[in-house]
Amino acid sequence: MLLEQQNPLLPLPMSNINKSILRTALMLSYVIIIGLVVYGIASIYSYLNTGADRSKMLHTEVKKVEQYLPQLQWQPLTNEGRPMDQQTLKAIETDYLDAWYVKHVAYKTNTTKGITDYYTESSRENLYNIIQLNTESNTIIDATTLSHNPKLDFFSEDGQLAVLTDYDVVEYKRIFKDNNLISEVAEISDYRVTFLLEDGFWRIRHMIKLESHPFENETVQDTLKLDIKGINYYPQATAWDMYGDNFNTDTVAKDFKIIKDANLNSIRVFIPYESFGKANVDITKLDQVKQLLDLAKAEDLKVLITLFDFYGDYSVLDWTLTQQHAKKVVTALKDHDALLGWDIKNEPNLDFESRGESLVTAWLDKMIDLVKSVDGNHPVTIGWSNVESGEILKNKLDFISFHYYNNLEDLSEAYTSLKSKIKDKPIVITEYGMSSYSGFWKPFGPSEDNQAEYHKKIQTTFAEKDIPFMSWTLYDFSRIPKEVVGRLPWRKNVQKHFGFIDKNGAKKASFKYISSKE
Amino acid sequence: MQFKYFYIVLFLLFFITNNKQNSTDSNHDIELITTKTSYVAGENISLQFKGNTNASIYLLCANSYGTIVVSPSIENSTTSFQLPQNFANKSGTINWQLINDSVLKTGTLYINPQPKIKAIETYIGPPSIEAGATDYTMLVSIPTDHLDNPLADSTEVTVKHQFLDRNFKDNIIMKNGIAYKNIYSEKEDGRIIISTACLDLNSKEYDVNVVPAIPTNFEIDYSRIHEYADGNQITTFNTSELKDRYGNTVSDGTFVNFYLTNSKGYKSSTSGLTINGIAKAKFLHPDHEENFEVKAYVEGMAESNIIAISYKKAIGDFEIHFSEDKRTITVGPIESFMNQRVPDGLNVTLKIFKNDVLDHKIIKETREGFATFKLNKDRFPKGQYNFEFYAAGTTKSFTAIAYE
Repeated sequence: MLLEQQNPLLPLPMSNINKSILRTALMLSYVIIIGLVVYGIASIYSYLNTGADRSKMLHTEVKKVEQYLPQLQWQPLTNEGRPMDQQTLKAIETDYLDAWYVKHVAYKTNTTKGITDYYTESSRENLYNIIQLNTESNTIIDATTLSHNPKLDFFSEDGQLAVLTDYDVVEYKRIFKDNNLISEVAEISDYRVTFLLEDGFWRIRHMIKLESHPFENETVQDTLKLDIKGINYYPQATAWDMYGDNFNTDTVAKDFKIIKDANLNSIRVFIPYESFGKANVDITKLDQVKQLLDLAKAEDLKVLITLFDFYGDYSVLDWTLTQQHAKKVVTALKDHDALLGWDIKNEPNLDFESRGESLVTAWLDKMIDLVKSVDGNHPVTIGWSNVESGEILKNKLDFISFHYYNNLEDLSEAYTSLKSKIKDKPIVITEYGMSSYSGFWKPFGPSEDNQAEYHKKIQTTFAEKDIPFMSWTLYDFSRIPKEVVGRLPWRKNVQKHFGFIDKNGAKKASFKYISSKE
Repeated sequence: MQFKYFYIVLFLLFFITNNKQNSTDSNHDIELITTKTSYVAGENISLQFKGNTNASIYLLCANSYGTIVVSPSIENSTTSFQLPQNFANKSGTINWQLINDSVLKTGTLYINPQPKIKAIETYIGPPSIEAGATDYTMLVSIPTDHLDNPLADSTEVTVKHQFLDRNFKDNIIMKNGIAYKNIYSEKEDGRIIISTACLDLNSKEYDVNVVPAIPTNFEIDYSRIHEYADGNQITTFNTSELKDRYGNTVSDGTFVNFYLTNSKGYKSSTSGLTINGIAKAKFLHPDHEENFEVKAYVEGMAESNIIAISYKKAIGDFEIHFSEDKRTITVGPIESFMNQRVPDGLNVTLKIFKNDVLDHKIIKETREGFATFKLNKDRFPKGQYNFEFYAAGTTKSFTAIAYE
């Protein structure tokens, strides 16, 4: 039999190429299948080898999550029975607050989770009854307590039973029926609570509301002592992010000198809620704010501190955490000479739509109470984003402030109108300004000259109407975090050019009108 | 002058009327008919209002435990709100708010606990206290009504207790929702029987043990079969009856430690627990002549006198016999105080020195009066050794034993 010899120099016939491709494909698929099988077996093997982590068997690392931190102040210990020690007192305090917290959660969700830990067998029935009533009537109570002043009345000799009276418990409740908010209630009450130590928990055996009345607090304190001529301040390079590693005293000192020399007497700065550590306020950053105040004092500038920047939750069970934050910040800074006052939150009315006006207003209301309870000397305001919101909570604020970015022609009238409604309190415009951006994203935007013209005009209005002001802002910024105006370049770029001083440090035409003449 | 007073009165009047207006400020043509503001727990509570109302009117009620929303029942021009029974069962303040779109009226009710008792919860602790009239136990009592509300403050609770042949009865007053009493021990130990009573309800019986206080100093003594240091018999130490300072015999199980100090100053110890106030502890006789001083302690509380105890020499000299190749050594017979062979188990120690350095130490126990050592050829090869034997306080040495 004669086999046809192939000449190796000739190109391979088609069938041979196909064969090679087939062979390669077969081999590859074989390798892949084997790989998959090995991988499968390996993952089954490793799955079967996983189990409980031995280090977690004893639950030694249960972390305490801070979820409920109302203001709590024990009154001096004068209890009957056994002398109390601090450790037991702290244990009672923790379990007592947890009892309130699980109760709030239970009434908010109409479930009974967690109640068994903090109420004895017979007292938990009372909560179950109310949950049942509320479930039947489709009612939800979203509540929190903001302040407790317990006094220990009695501690038994064997350390198993304690009685306390909790005075002036400030409760705030939002009551929903059929998913509609039907009422908001703020009450101040006294409770007497009997605890039994069971299974390591201080459980509530009896709880009796001794007294209760509606809570209203309209203390107005020290009003504004300064004829404000100010500016909102961020350093040029670190706008909205000036604390932590970015904090530079040299830059701040230099900028304060510029502000002082420009015939301004005050600045407005911001304290972001989350990056300052929420309820656990970052001491380092707080120190940096103190340094900033020191530098302001050196230049004889007063500082309006805006709290809760970038905060937007407002949910009732989060309140105690925000109050804890505010308490720590205000306590740390309240005695500083350079402090002008407190701006509770920047433009909270912008959250009305997403969070509900009543909720946001209630949060602000209680926050004003807290700030005033900690600092009885400095005036409190809220930086509303528009003049229309100026009347909200006007009775509780010590001075009114709003931001104005609208048409200049309407300013005079808007201000007069608000002033006629709020006669007895100063009204300050704590933000105004114009971006000088005109470029790719906004080809027909205003020029630097337009900006200068704007500031010239607005200063005239301020002078005519005797309006205290704080402008936005000293610098053109080179970098804007996305949280401020989002990622859209036409917004970002506009926001970058509100300054009186440009990126390169040169004073823009508007700088001439940064302050009033005299 | 008269006008001045007139003006002042006028001014005050204005103030008073002004205040009144404030308090009835939110009166939107609705009036509260119900005048009762104080109830007893479990009583039917219905708030009735007169005036124009619509269907979306609610009554918010908050009691000691929570908040509820009550829907109205409207009849003619009367709107009434019936509080649910188990909500009206809890004592304390109820604040209510009448709302439709806004708050129309607010008010408070007070629910008193029932004046009748259902149960009396009693907590007693600590459960055992010390005799001597300084230590005490505390009784805490929470009388509750039929709806589990603690009775009103100032309710009287009777505490009765009995001790030995004495009965006591005290009246205490409820305060802060509880009533408590400290019950002190007396000088005797025993058991206090306690019960409470409130509004004709008697509790069950509770008891608290009064244990004796800490012991006072005591005496010790010993007893033994013979006085010889035979390493075999046992000496028993015993205490006098341990008593507290009021003459109560201490609790059984009180731990007594006996410390023995020998003539060289070394200490050994033995211990025992009291039964009926007396503790006994055992001690093995030494195997050689020795004198001890013995003192006992109840650690941190009491101590005894010191007694001396001596043991006479019982085992005299003994012989040592080497085999022909000197590798099997027989010690004995070892004989005790009547020349009887010592009981099995007496320790005989052999120390083997090579070039004046301790090479090995072997301890053997006697069997029928003898101890035998066998020295292996591999372990102890050719050379010169020194031997030292020790048993029952006697040491015997052999020098320059040569192995082939």
